[in-house]
Amino acid sequence: MNPSWYWPTPNGKPPLTAVLSVVLPIAVLVLTASTVDMSTNKVFYALPRMLDFTQHLWVMPDWHYLPQLGKKMLETVEMTLLATALAVMISMPLGILAAKNASPNPWIFRMTRDLLSFIRALPELVWALVFVSALGLGPLPGIMALALVTVGFMGKFIAESIEVVDFKAIEGLESTGCTKFQSILYAMLPQAVPDFIGSLLYILDHNLRAASILGLVGAGGIGYDMVMSMRLFNYERIGMIALSIYALVTLLDRLSDVFRQKAIGGILNVH
Amino acid sequence: MAYISLREVCKVYPNGYCALKNINLDIEAGQFIAVLGPSGAGKSTLLRAMNALDPATQGEITIDGVTLNKKNYRKIRAHVGMVFQQFNLVDRLNVMTNVLVGRLAEHSWLSSLFYLFPKMDYQIAEAALREVDLLDKAWSRADKLSGGQQQRVGIARALAQQPKLILADEPIASLDPKASEEVLKLLRKICSEKGITIIINLHQVEYAKQYADRIIALNAGWLVFDGSPEQLTAAKQAEIYGTTYEETSHEPELVLAHT
Repeated sequence: MNPSWYWPTPNGKPPLTAVLSVVLPIAVLVLTASTVDMSTNKVFYALPRMLDFTQHLWVMPDWHYLPQLGKKMLETVEMTLLATALAVMISMPLGILAAKNASPNPWIFRMTRDLLSFIRALPELVWALVFVSALGLGPLPGIMALALVTVGFMGKFIAESIEVVDFKAIEGLESTGCTKFQSILYAMLPQAVPDFIGSLLYILDHNLRAASILGLVGAGGIGYDMVMSMRLFNYERIGMIALSIYALVTLLDRLSDVFRQKAIGGILNVH
Repeated sequence: MAYISLREVCKVYPNGYCALKNINLDIEAGQFIAVLGPSGAGKSTLLRAMNALDPATQGEITIDGVTLNKKNYRKIRAHVGMVFQQFNLVDRLNVMTNVLVGRLAEHSWLSSLFYLFPKMDYQIAEAALREVDLLDKAWSRADKLSGGQQQRVGIARALAQQPKLILADEPIASLDPKASEEVLKLLRKICSEKGITIIINLHQVEYAKQYADRIIALNAGWLVFDGSPEQLTAAKQAEIYGTTYEETSHEPELVLAHT
């Protein structure tokens, strides 16, 4: 029987790209599952132990720990904000140099791009190790590691949001005889603002979570306490720490939603 | 010597497409000149060659005694306004800033960096906005305005450059008939009262005849008509647009393999 349903292509068959985007991930999954030792059995038999761990969390919190928790959480937030602010200042000019349409020449564009990807190549934790061994324990190496990696990401995000700016506004400016620098300032940057805000809020979210594990290598924040109480099976504290990180991330998420709406709606305007 | 003169101007795009073929043209100051021709005839290319947004590949363009070369693009553009079909405003900036942009060419990078403009510039921008009757919208965001209003902001930006020449590249092609008439009347008024030369690309022959002092027509990159509105007879019009009618008359059939 002749089928009566067709895809909207000239020959009625599904496009190759669509077929591949379904087939490829499944193929990759099937081929790699054995290599990474992914077995459903293993997960299944681990369930009781996971439940066991979760049960242990239902204990009376360690209230004496509360002041210390507050202090460490505050430190984590401070690290996040400081590192992000620092990174935004540095990544703004780098992002402009790394945008194809704003960069003064192709060499600078290429070099800035490569610099940014070099920074991104290592995760925060590894950079933190480097800085801890240079500067000693404490939040400072953590902030530096976080800021560095954020420059790598933020620079790339800024470059990409400048690159997709509508060409018409830029052309409009160029027709008045202004310089490239002026057209970056007056056409590219204002048009890229909604994108900036989006990336910035994502980065803040990411940095808050990153800052909360940097303590693992002694680079400040709540991370050290979290790892220590995990190792000592100090369930009275683990629950508190996890909950307070969750609360903070959720709060940030809510705030960023409100902020994003306002920014894109145009309240944050020039003038 | 004429205010604008084009000598043997050719434009070949990097893909080999030849958009302008040996254009010779003299334009007197203070005229309102309409450029007609079917789509793809080279009207936009002609205008964009005059302010070097798309520089000509051959020939010589002289505006007000200065011949365009790679080094003086910005200097020439500073006093040549351009009005675009899609307005080309910065949507997220307010109307006033969009008009002040017309003053940027006069300023150093340092003052631009802080979005600072001298009082003089505000007076110029204000006068430009009054001219296009949009002073009450000065502090609205550009993308909150209607199409006709946005185009008038585009004209105000051009006026803020204090130009002697305004190039209008199909300024009414995205507008409804009422807004179109307003924009054309406005440009005509600017031309007559301020003596600013206006070269405008149009699709509507009627508007060209009604507003222009002189009509130029292009087809397939050739200059095929140059004369007064009265000289543009029905026969001439058929000649200008004729060839493309034949080209577009054979419609391809929609091929379906589904049955």
